[in-house]
Amino acid sequence: MSIIEVKALTKTYNETMVPVHALNGIDLAFQKGEFTAIVGPSGCGKTTLLNMIGGLDQPTSGKVMIDARDITVMPSGKLVDFRLHNIGFIFQSYNLIPVLTVKENVEFIMELQHTSRKDREERARYLLDEMGLRDKMNVRPKYLSGGQQQRVAVARALASKPIFVLADEPTANLDSKSADTLLEMMAELNRKEEMTFIFSTHDQRVMDKARRLVTLEDGKVISDQQTEKHYAQALH
Amino acid sequence: MLVRIAWRNIWRNKTRSLVIITAVVVGLWGGIFADAFMQGMTEQQIFTTIHTETGHIQLNDSGFLLNHDIQLQVHNADSVVAALASIPGVQAVAASFQMSAMASTASSSAALLVNGITPKTAARVSDIASKLVQGDYFKSDRQNLVLIGQQLAEKLKVKLHARIVLTLQTTEGDIIYGAFRVEGIYKTHNSDFDKETVYVREKDLQNLIHFPGGAATVITVLLHRDKDTKGIADIAEQKFPSLQVQTWTELSPMLQLLSGTIRQMTVIFVAIILIALAFGIVNTMLMAVMERTREIGMLLSVGMKPSRVFGMILLETVFLSLTGAVIGVLISIATVYWFGKHGINLSIIAEGINALGYSSIVYPTLGAEFYGILALMVIFIAVIAGLFPARRAVRLKPAEAVRGE
Repeated sequence: MSIIEVKALTKTYNETMVPVHALNGIDLAFQKGEFTAIVGPSGCGKTTLLNMIGGLDQPTSGKVMIDARDITVMPSGKLVDFRLHNIGFIFQSYNLIPVLTVKENVEFIMELQHTSRKDREERARYLLDEMGLRDKMNVRPKYLSGGQQQRVAVARALASKPIFVLADEPTANLDSKSADTLLEMMAELNRKEEMTFIFSTHDQRVMDKARRLVTLEDGKVISDQQTEKHYAQALH
Repeated sequence: MLVRIAWRNIWRNKTRSLVIITAVVVGLWGGIFADAFMQGMTEQQIFTTIHTETGHIQLNDSGFLLNHDIQLQVHNADSVVAALASIPGVQAVAASFQMSAMASTASSSAALLVNGITPKTAARVSDIASKLVQGDYFKSDRQNLVLIGQQLAEKLKVKLHARIVLTLQTTEGDIIYGAFRVEGIYKTHNSDFDKETVYVREKDLQNLIHFPGGAATVITVLLHRDKDTKGIADIAEQKFPSLQVQTWTELSPMLQLLSGTIRQMTVIFVAIILIALAFGIVNTMLMAVMERTREIGMLLSVGMKPSRVFGMILLETVFLSLTGAVIGVLISIATVYWFGKHGINLSIIAEGINALGYSSIVYPTLGAEFYGILALMVIFIAVIAGLFPARRAVRLKPAEAVRGE
């Protein structure tokens, strides 16, 4: 069963003046454990689609079903809560809280979820360990490299035990080595914990790692394919 | 963690926060010190008025105060004094004979109020003896001695030991003259009082105007505590229904008005300063919110409720304001305490402020309760100042804010 279903999704900006059709009737479904890259040229609607799936923006028409719940009709208060408990976010600019330490950044989401202190600390340690940042737990983000900061952002996204993680151009600000390390770690988490990742990206390295490529153009899906790697893994 | 984040956030841009904290510190210190100065002036004036001029309570025959008619006497003054002295809370009671008169010398004359006193008893309710700048307080046994104010001495152009002639009216209605030797010259903070009031021995006055023994026109009561004034005045009224009982607030209505309004003025004064500071705080917090658009967008995206984001910005505003307020109040307490002990010497403008009835050395003072009111005012203003930036923060659209748009 799909954990995410996008049905006839449209998004039009400037409806009353010069309308811009950012999304033009998207139909997609995502299964648990997928490692999907949404690709396409600038302005094709990748970020808009991610925002709709993440409940950060409202579509003009259509539905986004997550775990069989239509989030497009959810009241805003419930939607905030829904995001907190079900969706992990990774942003292009890391967007860590600079006044908190690495560990506090990861614990922050769990505190919003009212997780106990003991469980918060335990999970933050585990995730930072997985991200190779055990020795950086008590430093502030400004003392980390871009790659390290993005790894903290991944740990933060996973801290809330979401159903899936949305990553908007996660490697755009990283050098190639950092990007490779980050992608390898996310791929490992995907394999190990069956965590579903959906990326929007221009980065060929992300596309190479992805097991499903959805290509958008002018707000439409022009191709949706499983990569060879996926077949190989499926066969294996 | 919200509290921790809010506290750390105010130190993200140290220079900016320190500028606004300094503004709060200086603004509050200025407001508090100015208020303490005004309060100190007023309290000193009240204290001096009570302890030099009026006492806390005065009793007279009804109507006496209208024109100081010496026919309106308290005949059994000694028993009234004794009865009043027995009321708990009363420090001292003294009877005196007060009347209008004219003083003249070879070069000048002046209308004034003569106080016929028993020096030893009167000293218990009035500290006029401590205000002497020349001469003595009825030290000599000679007859017809007078204490006059420095302003009057200048007006009459008389010096110590000079003679002045008092023109008085006897109880029979005749005009009589008496030559008095200046035994002492006093100076209070109230130049009008100094110009218009003289002190003579009661027995000298009695010899001249022939008022009956045991009579008085004014019974002055001094209390241990100012706040007992109303209660003890009520008791006195019950005990002596035929006499007019007046408190210092009724005898000096301007002083009462000043005393009553000074606190409100103080609060209004500080409120105006705080409102002005609030604009600076709003500006600082708006800049902070705009600089942190991405971060606030992230917080809203990942599931932090807008109400908590709102609370976080408000908390930052309160922390910022309270930090300045705490420092400002501590500096204010220290300076008010120091100047309250050593005084601020305004003798350079003494003539002007004495004419207004104020002392030339001011000891600033401020009640502890004022600092409590101030703390509440700072929190209130900070919350109000934080509302606009906080509203701005929660109105950000997460999808746009997170990309810094």
